[in-house]
Amino acid sequence: MSSTRRDLLKMTAGVAAGTLFTPAPWRLITDSAILSENWPGIFFSSHGAPTEKFTNCALCTAGCAVKARCVNDRPISLAGVVKSPICALGLAGLHMPFHTARIAHGDAENAAAAVRAAQGKVAVLDLRPGRTASWTYRRAMAALPGGIYLAPQRILNAVNLAAVKTLVSFGAPVLDGWGTPSKVLAAREHFSLIQVEKDQSHTGLLADRWIPVQPGNEPVVAQQIARDLPADGSSLFLSSAELPSVLKMNVTLGNLGHTVIARNETPVPAAWSKQAAAVHAIQNVADRSIGALLIDEASADVAVPWDVIAPKLTNSAVVITFASTQAGYGRYAQFVLPAAVYPEVTTDIPTAIDSVVATFRLATPLMAAPSGVVDAAEFVASLAKLDTKDALQERAASIHATGRGSLLSYSDQKSRPIKDVKADQFWTALNAGACWSDSESPLKAPRWEATIATPAICEAVRPKPPLFTKLYEESGLKGIAS
Amino acid sequence: MNRYAMSIDIDKCTGCGACMIACAVENNVPPLPQSNDRKGITWIRVFPVDNGEQGDTRQSAFLPMMCQQCDSTPCASVCPQQAVQLDVKTGIVGQMPERCLGCRYCMTACPYHARYFNWWDPKWPAGMEATLNPDVAPRMRGVVEKCNFCHGRWHAAKEQAASQGKREAADYTPACAESCPTGAIRFFDLLAGTPEAGSFRLLEKLGTETKIYYRSKRAWVKGLAEAPDGKEHHLA
Repeated sequence: MSSTRRDLLKMTAGVAAGTLFTPAPWRLITDSAILSENWPGIFFSSHGAPTEKFTNCALCTAGCAVKARCVNDRPISLAGVVKSPICALGLAGLHMPFHTARIAHGDAENAAAAVRAAQGKVAVLDLRPGRTASWTYRRAMAALPGGIYLAPQRILNAVNLAAVKTLVSFGAPVLDGWGTPSKVLAAREHFSLIQVEKDQSHTGLLADRWIPVQPGNEPVVAQQIARDLPADGSSLFLSSAELPSVLKMNVTLGNLGHTVIARNETPVPAAWSKQAAAVHAIQNVADRSIGALLIDEASADVAVPWDVIAPKLTNSAVVITFASTQAGYGRYAQFVLPAAVYPEVTTDIPTAIDSVVATFRLATPLMAAPSGVVDAAEFVASLAKLDTKDALQERAASIHATGRGSLLSYSDQKSRPIKDVKADQFWTALNAGACWSDSESPLKAPRWEATIATPAICEAVRPKPPLFTKLYEESGLKGIAS
Repeated sequence: MNRYAMSIDIDKCTGCGACMIACAVENNVPPLPQSNDRKGITWIRVFPVDNGEQGDTRQSAFLPMMCQQCDSTPCASVCPQQAVQLDVKTGIVGQMPERCLGCRYCMTACPYHARYFNWWDPKWPAGMEATLNPDVAPRMRGVVEKCNFCHGRWHAAKEQAASQGKREAADYTPACAESCPTGAIRFFDLLAGTPEAGSFRLLEKLGTETKIYYRSKRAWVKGLAEAPDGKEHHLA
């Protein structure tokens, strides 16, 4: 049999047609596309003229002033303002809404029904007390029969860093997110820092003296250090775990009223204080007494260990948590309702631990929250049929009515006495990131004996921004405000 | 004409990492979860260092490290693509990813290990692309990148200056210097100012004529600049 040119052509055509039914040509297309890749780029939806907005960071109670660069109503970078820098966590705050573990849906209707079914045994656990939302919880719990308002009680609520000459820290990240960065850094030149902890932290690396300690030996070490310090109220003992035996050294050395001071509360409308439920520590609540527990953990500063909470719940108790991810109490809750996160939230920030005067500042949204998020305060208020839509404005009006203090505007860096500011201007300025500070008053000693009971708090589980990758962790940078 | 430079006070650096984060946000460095110490990208990295002692004599510091913006550039001289160029008008060593073929000669030549290779295409969690800085193009897989003193900001500052009828870029500060909470990083023009007295540069003996000046009152920190010197300094 002889092959003709026709046969050769037919075979070639057959091979070409047959090859189309194999993966080879299709893979070749992909591979050649990769090899000759002309970068398609990333889709930018944020082209436009950049604008500047001012707000306050709500990631911790330091509440640093923030200057946001926005394009198309979206922040593209955050920065501190003059003399008020922000931490690494704050700089990456604009990425918080895009956390891969963020939850998008929650069954708010059934959650509300479950709470109504537990009428008479409802409690709210507020992990960032002192906000306007906290007052909403207290008012709602007062309105609901048997409602209980729970908040973690901390031994130290306010310190006066300016008066500190020796700071003894038992594991507190003093230089790494403990207080307001600008205040801590300004005060650092005036105090010597002794850091006591098991493993050397960033603060330990930069401390004047670092003392390693075995866990459990802290009270002995604290006494030893206190022996060498003058009892003139110039020292300050801090503890990350709020160890009463360590913090009691502040009493021994006469620090109360000097470096450890009573917290000055931001004013609230008189009607609110009259209608508010009392603040309870969860360890003081009777066992098996809570039928429905609502936990506001989206903005948690500290948390309460689940071991402390569990005995307080009835066997059929329902737990509802307002969170952005399921990493915290979501593991124990029947309902996890998605909450807005910074910089989507509208909230006020309680006075920082290192502020000697009461303050009031707002975190206003830099971008819209996705649909489906539930406002914890509105949810709780609706259970008690309270109208709290304008609660922040009401509180601002009550602060303005006191006529005390001054208003610092970050856009022009000017501070004005509140007497010179009209009520509507005050509200507008607050929404533009301004900060109200109360007038200075004589420092008072805190009611120490009332709070010295062993606190039940632990570190809150908080999602890190997506930028905090393994690389950053390997660099040894903590970067997370505590 | 400018010669931009940086002065870093190591004694002031608290290692908070604000500069690293601000840089990543400004320059659209992707948060690749698979990136690690060897394969990750960060244009500026803060290294914890110590004097090698133990106990009470142990001292630690933090050393922010980025492209040292050499005047005598070892990276540019080995690049077969002319993807690295020293801009004589600003003194900034630029990297052009469009020209880069990914040979990584420059990474080998850089004595400061300040260059990073894109092992993966950049990726952001869904929706996060909208927060990217529109002034800076993300880099593709297979190219090298490094600090360029926030060149996007320089362009923006130039544009703003031009709109005001000026020639020189005013109010130009890279993100790391702007974000440093302690003011440890200072950005300046060598033609208008000088580094502080006692400043030193890393590996000065190589003659790379860098424009990043460091300073510290501690002798062992200065010793790090000339490492390795036989002593046991620890660069974590």
